[in-house]
Amino acid sequence: MSWRDRVERLLARLVAASATERLAISLAALFSSILVGTLLVLVAGRMTACSSAAFVLTHPTPFGVPRLFAVGFCYDPIAVYDRLFLGALGDPFSAGWSPRNAQMAVTLRETTVLIFTGLSVAVAFRAGVFNIGTQGQLVVGGFATALTVLAAAPAVSGFVGTLTLIPLGLLAGAVGGGFYGAIPGALKAYADANEVITTIMLNFVATGVVGYLVLNQFKDPTSAATQTRALPSYADFPAVVFDPRSNFSLIALAFGISLIVAVYYLLAHTSFGYDLRTSGLQPEAAEYGGVDAARTVVASFALSGALGGLGGALYVLMILGNYQTGVPAYGFDGITVSILAGNNPVGVGFAALLFGVLKSGTTVVDFATDVPPQLVGVLRGLIILFVAMPEFFRLLGGRMDRVQRRARRLGSTAATDGGEQADDGGDRNE
Amino acid sequence: MADAVRLDGITKRFPGVVANDDVTLEVERGSVHALLGENGAGKTTLMNVLYGLYQPEEGRVVVDGEEQSFESPGDAIDAGVGMIHQHFMLVDTMTVAENITLGNEPRKWGWLAVDREQARREVRELSERYGFAVEPDARIETVSVGVQQRVEILKALYRGADVLILDEPTAVLTPQEVEELLAVFEELTAAGKTVIFITHKLGEAMEAADEITVLRDGKNVGSVSADDTDREALAELMVGREVLMETDARPSDPGDETLCVDGLTVEDSRGVTVVDGVSFGVRAGEVFGIAGVDGNGQSELVEAITGLREPTAGRVDFEGRDVADWSRIDHIEAGMAYIPEDRQERGLVMDFDLVENGLLGSQHASAFAAGGRIDWDRARDHAEAVVEEYDVRPPDPDARSVSLSGGNQQKFIVGREFERDPSLLVATHPTRGVDIGSTEFINDRLLDLRNAGGAVLLVSSKLDEVQMLSDRLAVMHGGELMAVVDPDDVTEEELGLLMAGEEPSRSLSSLRLAGEES
Repeated sequence: MSWRDRVERLLARLVAASATERLAISLAALFSSILVGTLLVLVAGRMTACSSAAFVLTHPTPFGVPRLFAVGFCYDPIAVYDRLFLGALGDPFSAGWSPRNAQMAVTLRETTVLIFTGLSVAVAFRAGVFNIGTQGQLVVGGFATALTVLAAAPAVSGFVGTLTLIPLGLLAGAVGGGFYGAIPGALKAYADANEVITTIMLNFVATGVVGYLVLNQFKDPTSAATQTRALPSYADFPAVVFDPRSNFSLIALAFGISLIVAVYYLLAHTSFGYDLRTSGLQPEAAEYGGVDAARTVVASFALSGALGGLGGALYVLMILGNYQTGVPAYGFDGITVSILAGNNPVGVGFAALLFGVLKSGTTVVDFATDVPPQLVGVLRGLIILFVAMPEFFRLLGGRMDRVQRRARRLGSTAATDGGEQADDGGDRNE
Repeated sequence: MADAVRLDGITKRFPGVVANDDVTLEVERGSVHALLGENGAGKTTLMNVLYGLYQPEEGRVVVDGEEQSFESPGDAIDAGVGMIHQHFMLVDTMTVAENITLGNEPRKWGWLAVDREQARREVRELSERYGFAVEPDARIETVSVGVQQRVEILKALYRGADVLILDEPTAVLTPQEVEELLAVFEELTAAGKTVIFITHKLGEAMEAADEITVLRDGKNVGSVSADDTDREALAELMVGREVLMETDARPSDPGDETLCVDGLTVEDSRGVTVVDGVSFGVRAGEVFGIAGVDGNGQSELVEAITGLREPTAGRVDFEGRDVADWSRIDHIEAGMAYIPEDRQERGLVMDFDLVENGLLGSQHASAFAAGGRIDWDRARDHAEAVVEEYDVRPPDPDARSVSLSGGNQQKFIVGREFERDPSLLVATHPTRGVDIGSTEFINDRLLDLRNAGGAVLLVSSKLDEVQMLSDRLAVMHGGELMAVVDPDDVTEEELGLLMAGEEPSRSLSSLRLAGEES
């Protein structure tokens, strides 16, 4: 009884935590993960053979105090974390640092795509449907973008081409992803098919069918890779501020941020958003309140798919400049981003940034140190795990009646499920 | 002789609320003591203090003449205090004996193994000693709720409890099981045990208890002997003002038929026909009651009328139009309000605050949403109005529904549905689990609506209530309406027979009303 009591007390404390406290918890979790990761790097560094130590643990020797001990390690944990975080930003503390550096562009590029996939997953989760198929929707959306832009490109050129082709490409991506997302939605709404199963299967279908089509119908004959012909350069997202070779456009990031605001507005301020959230929280009550369950499921899946498809469009237009098979797992990362953000659209922005930093920083660590990429993967996983766990336990505690009651007694009005209150309730009541 | 339990000046505060304010409670050994009060009066808090779940800010807990300071329920159990919560804490897949001995299993082979044989024997002896008909080998999932409750009591006794606290023990029981529980109380007190039970039902307290303590707003407002009091006096103590036990209903002045149900047949989710060719009409300005034992098709009938379930046959005419295959939202917009049976599943989104919940069903209505955009200012005004007019406590529209007590949740739903200004109100068990003050309030509102010319379809299993409020009363059994009777003319015995599916000795034709022309 008493251990259970203690666990419930802790959970209640988490559920009742205010926004500031949660930020502090997240930061503390980040630092804890770095501490644990440091130990791991040291241990791994002891177990590896190397000609010279990258890191030596000893004590200072002022005034000729004799050195009592010195332990060498093959990997330097400080260097690893320095590269992972500061490297991803292009060394902000070094002389001559400019925020427009190439590594910063990589970080923001990854962040941008992850905003779209994170939003895609968040919208579905908030509606109470588990869309694991963002990856497939991204693939279909990206492919639809490439085909549409290739077909329309001869008709226009130059600046006019940029102005028409990019919106057209984005639209194609959204429509393609939206339709592909509506399929599992319709299967769930009208045939009672479990969406987790169907979306996972449809991911394979998307990758397979698109790969087949590229290989047999749309392949660039001049290339050995399975890819379409290159899109014209005027269909590329214009690089603002950043180097055009960095494949990153501030316009795309701004588009992503405006979509965050749009999704937030949709959820908190529209009748459709109300229907969607009600269905997600309590389907029975939604039915009572006149929400058409089937239509809401299809609509939220289509919306989720459209957001994933936009991610694909961006990947094609901004990063690749054509469509290639072997799309990175942006869709699956979107699931983690969304969970990390408590399925809150504003949180998705921050979670995507953390992910962007980690992804970009990993390449810097690989380049700058001898630490094997697998170990860096472990460190990344640790950070995500540590930061996500408090939110996860909050969600869990929020679903337990006894914990809820305790949390209420802690006298908090901020206690909500996954932090929605902070954004749903926050400003609509001004 | 020392009292079995003495709580002395207990004060328990929660942020913003004083749940118990200097409460003193004396419980005589070997007696049944009822703790009576409205929802949120502080009954459960007080008992949680006695059970060690809460530590009071002030006051003393004395058990068996010894002052105690319980840090946890474990301490309370050691001191001989056991509590049976409203929600049972049993493992469904384990047997009765396993559940009772769980955590205190008799051991054999030097503590290496559980001695199942002895556990079974001990449980059987225990259950026989108190005259409980409990089979030690039955699995919990196969036994009735009443038996599960007895298993909980046995669990407390097995752990050596002398004082048993029961939180709303009758809430989950059928009337017959309630009778059995009261008999169990007698067995327990005869064996020298002390029983404290929490209730908000007057009748139960009067019937079962030797002594009754009434709590109101966290204070002890009086302890009386059950023999020296009556329902009116207790009700007044509970509510703090005089309560009219009988609602004064003016005769109805019915107009045209607002709702006409004809040959309605409905299947439940398993495809079993649970409503079988039901026909009746509800006229403007009347309350049409449907009485019956739960589970005789009332829920499905109501769901079919309100658009939550599609009937397999028959018509539902609402203001002259057949609405049987209309969507739920069309029903709402046509002016049909519905107080659902299950307020926490259907009536409210528990994670929403009251502003959001006030919008449930109106999220697309032009009054609150223009062009798909919700006007939260108006929604807030609306919620504030409902909260104020229907006396929802705490009066905070930002409070999440889950933080409200059951009675206040219900008042909010009632308010929301009345504010639709409906031409037909369908109310299912509108006062179930609601305290006496709120019950009176809700019933008055129902009659107000009727007097203002609205049609009310009232489904309830509370016989006295449905009989008192209805202008015409139908009894439902096995998916059919047994009869439509005049509630002033029919006796409770006759209703009981009809609810059991039998014909009363008096010819039914004499009970039928002329209003049955449909």
